[in-house]
Amino acid sequence: MMGVWRSLAMLILGAMATGAPAADMGKTLRITFQVAETGFDPVRIHDYYSGTVIETVYDSLLGYDYLARPSKLAPRAAELPQVTDGGRTYTFKIRKGILFTPDAAFKGKRRELVAEDFAYTIKRFLDPKNRSPYAFFFEGKILGLDDLAAEAKKSGRFDYDRKIPGFEIPDSHTLRIKLKDPDYTFSQILAFSQTSAVAREVIETYGEESNFHPVGTGPYMLDKYVRSSKIFLKANPDYRKETWDFKPGADPRDKDIVARMKGKQIPAIGNVEISIVEESQARMLAFENGETDLEYQLWDVSTRFMTEDNKLVPDFVKKGIRLDRIVDPEITYTYMNTLDKIGDQPNPVGGFTRERIALRRAIAMAYNLGDQIRIIRKNQSVKAEYPIPPGVTGHEPAWKNNIRHDPAGANALLERVGYKKGADGYRSQPDGTPLLIRYSTTPDERGRLFAELMKKSMDSIGVRIDIHIDKFPELLKAEKQCRLMVRGAAWIADYPDGDNFMQLLYGPNAYQSNNACYKSAEYDKLYEKSKLMPDGAERNKLYREMTKIMERDTPWIMNDSRYRNTLLHKQVVGYKKHPILHADWVYIDLDKRAK
Amino acid sequence: MTAYIIRRLWQMIPTLLGVMLLVFVIFNMVGGDPAYVLAGKISNQEQIDNIRKQLGVDQPYHVQLGIFAKQVVTGDFGASWSTNEKISNILGTRLGPSLMVLVPLLFLETLLAIAFALAVAYVRGSLTDRAVMIVCTAGMSISILVYIIVFQYWLAYKLGWFPVQGWGNGFWENLFVYSSLPILIGLVVSIAPNLRLYRTFVLDEINQDYVRTARAKGLSDNTILWTHVLRNASIPIITHVMAGLPGLLVGAFLIERFFSIPGIGREVILAVERSDFPVVKAITIYVAVATMVANLLADLMYKAVDPRVQLK
Repeated sequence: MMGVWRSLAMLILGAMATGAPAADMGKTLRITFQVAETGFDPVRIHDYYSGTVIETVYDSLLGYDYLARPSKLAPRAAELPQVTDGGRTYTFKIRKGILFTPDAAFKGKRRELVAEDFAYTIKRFLDPKNRSPYAFFFEGKILGLDDLAAEAKKSGRFDYDRKIPGFEIPDSHTLRIKLKDPDYTFSQILAFSQTSAVAREVIETYGEESNFHPVGTGPYMLDKYVRSSKIFLKANPDYRKETWDFKPGADPRDKDIVARMKGKQIPAIGNVEISIVEESQARMLAFENGETDLEYQLWDVSTRFMTEDNKLVPDFVKKGIRLDRIVDPEITYTYMNTLDKIGDQPNPVGGFTRERIALRRAIAMAYNLGDQIRIIRKNQSVKAEYPIPPGVTGHEPAWKNNIRHDPAGANALLERVGYKKGADGYRSQPDGTPLLIRYSTTPDERGRLFAELMKKSMDSIGVRIDIHIDKFPELLKAEKQCRLMVRGAAWIADYPDGDNFMQLLYGPNAYQSNNACYKSAEYDKLYEKSKLMPDGAERNKLYREMTKIMERDTPWIMNDSRYRNTLLHKQVVGYKKHPILHADWVYIDLDKRAK
Repeated sequence: MTAYIIRRLWQMIPTLLGVMLLVFVIFNMVGGDPAYVLAGKISNQEQIDNIRKQLGVDQPYHVQLGIFAKQVVTGDFGASWSTNEKISNILGTRLGPSLMVLVPLLFLETLLAIAFALAVAYVRGSLTDRAVMIVCTAGMSISILVYIIVFQYWLAYKLGWFPVQGWGNGFWENLFVYSSLPILIGLVVSIAPNLRLYRTFVLDEINQDYVRTARAKGLSDNTILWTHVLRNASIPIITHVMAGLPGLLVGAFLIERFFSIPGIGREVILAVERSDFPVVKAITIYVAVATMVANLLADLMYKAVDPRVQLK
C-alpha cells in the first residue's frame, strides 16, 4: 500500500515539476573549454572542465550567492545547515520535490532526490574502487566512514548498506552528518560541485561507464555528447522553479546586473554548446568571429585585446565587447624544501639554523617577481602578499609580505651569515663546501622561462643553481616524497576558506599537500587551534600570526595570483565571474536583439 | 603469390614483438608514473598505492609485459586510465574525423603532385621548372605551424571563407565546411616536397631509351608521359604513398588541434599529456600493424604495376 501512495506522490510531483521549461529554448550559449573533459562522474574526476559540467547537471547540498563577494554560501538542494555540537554535527534539510532527470536506470519511474543520495555519494569518495581524487575532503572526518573504507580495502567490496554513526537520516529529506572533530569548513566542502548527489541506481546500472552517463537534478542535462569535442547541454525541464533574486553588493556593476536579471528563471538560457578548443589563437579568433559568446583565460594572447594598462583595446570597445576581470582565488609560490636531508643527501636550503633561514630569505629577496609578472605573465597577475588570496575568507587585503625584492640586501645578508663568494663569483656554504641549489621544472616553454628567471635571480646573489628538468608526473612523484629542493607550485581554492590555503604549511601534511615539507611546531599549534574555529576575527588573528611565522622561516617565495579575463560579447547579460563557481553562466542570459 | 603473402604475414610477428618491447621500455622509462597525477591535489601514499594496484603498474615488469602481449593478441587494450573510456571506443569514434581530413588530402596531394611533377619534368630546365622548384623549396622551408596560423587568420577570420575552427554533425557538413581549410593547408604543406620527389622519379624515366623510341615511333607527348613514363615512375611513387598510409591512423596532430577536429591525432596528444599508457600503446601497435600491412600492399602493387617484378 505504501508503495502505491509513494508512486502516486511521485506522479503528482512529476506533474507539478513538468510544464513549460523556464529557460528560453531558442537561446544557445556558445562557449569553449581549453582542455578536454575527462568524464562526469562527480566522485571520479578532478579536472576543472568536467567539474564545470558537473556543477550544472547535478545538485550539491549548498551553492553560492552569485553576486556576494567575498563568496557566500547559499541554499541549493538543501537549506543552509544547522550546525550544532560545537561544529561537529551538520543537519541538512533537503528540499522536497527535486527530481532526477529521467533515465533507464529508474525503470520508467520518476525519482526524487532524498537524503540517502547524499550519504551514498559521500560514501563513494572513500570507496577504493573509485580512486577519488577528492577523498581527502572526507577522510578522517565522518564518524564510522573510515572504518567502512578500511574494511573495503581488506574485502575488496565497499558495503554501502551498512549504517554508520556519521550519517543519521531521521526522515527521507533530513541528513545529519556527525563529525569526529569540529570542522567549520565542512559546509564549504558540501558546496563543492564534486560532492553533488548521484543516484545509486544510475551508478550501479552503468558501472565503469558512470563517467559518461550523468544523471542529476541540476539546471541542465546532457543532450548530445561527442567526447573530447562537443558537449551540448539543454535546460532541465523538471528543474525546480528558481527565480533570479540575488542582492547587489558594493560593486557598481551589480545594480545593472540586478536590473536586467531580477525575476528571470534560472537558468534563462535553454541550450549550452561547449566546444573543446585547445589553442588560444583558435579560441580568440572564434570569439572575434562571433562563433562563441564568451571567452576566458587568454593569457598568452592578452596583448591582442588589452592595452598596456590592462584596459580593453578600443577596437573591441567599439564592437561592444566587454571585459570581466577578477583575480583568481589562487596563489603561486616557489617552495624550498625545509628538510635537513633530501633522501640521504644534505639539503643546502633545509633546516632552521640561522644560516639556512637567512639563505632561504636571501633567495626570496633575490627572486625577481616583477620580471615574472611582466615577462612570463604578460602583466596578467598581481603579487601575492598573503598566503590566502583575494576572494577567500581570511584574506588580508592590507597585508604586505615583509620580504621585498632586494638583491643588494640579499647579498649583504648572505655575507653576514658566512656564505662567501669565491673567485668564480659564486658563493660557498659557511662550512666552505660548495653551495648548489637544485631547481626543478618541466620540459616546456613555461618551465624554461621560469628556470631562466630563477637562474638570473640567483646569479644576482652569486648562488649557483642546477636546473633539473623532468616530466610533470615524475616531479609530482618526487614532490610527494619530499625529494625536490626548489620548485614552483600553485594552489587554487577548492572552497573559499582560508583553511584550504593555510593547510599547505601544516607539518602533518608533508608528503601530501605541504610540498615544502615544512614542519614548525609553532605554526602547527596555531593551525590546529584555527581548525576548531569558525571564520571570524579570532581565526584571522591566528592566520596573521601563522603568516608571520611563515615569513620568518621562509619556506616559500610568495609569487603571484593570476587574473581571470573573460571577454563578453554584447548579447551576454548579467555576467560577473564568481571566484568559486565554474559554471557561473547558469545565472546569465542572452539578449538576442543585441547580437 | 599466396606463399609470399603467408611468409610476409609470419614475418610480421617478430617485428610486432620488437615494437611491443620498444613501446613498453620507452613508456616505462620516460612515461612517468600516472598514479601521482590521477591521485589529485592531496593524496597519501596509501591512495597512490591503491591507484597503482588498480592500473596494474605495481606488477613486476614481466607480468605487465605479459598483459600487454595478451592485449595485442586479443585486440582488447582495456580502458583509458584518465577517463575510463574503452580504447576500442576511442579509436572507433576518433578515426572517422581523422580520415575525413586525411583521405581526401592523400588523394588530392598524390594526384596534384603527380600531375605537376609530370608537367615540370616535361619542361625541365626551363624558367617555369626553375621557378616551380624555387617556390617548392621556399614552401618546404616554412613550418606547418606558420601555414596554420596564417591561413586560419586570413582565410578563416579575416576573409571569412571558412569557419575558424570546429566540427559539425553531418558527413557533408564536416567534409565541405569544416575539413576544407585543414585539407587546403595540408595540400599546401605536402605538395611541395612530393612534387620535387616525384619530379625526380619522372626525370629518371624521361631520359630512358624507351622514351626516345616512343617519340621516334611518333607517339604524342601526352601518351608518352601519362602511359609510359608514369607507369615506370609508379613504383617509387607507390612506395612513397604507401609509406604515408599508416600516418592516416595517427592523424595530423597540429591540424586537428588548431581546428578542434576530434581525431586520433588530438587524442594522442591528450594521451601523452595525461600519461595515458593504454591509449598510447594501442595506437602505436595499430600504427605498427598498419605500416606492415601497407608495406605488404605496396609490394603486391609493384607486381600489379610492373609484371617484371617477381615476388619471392
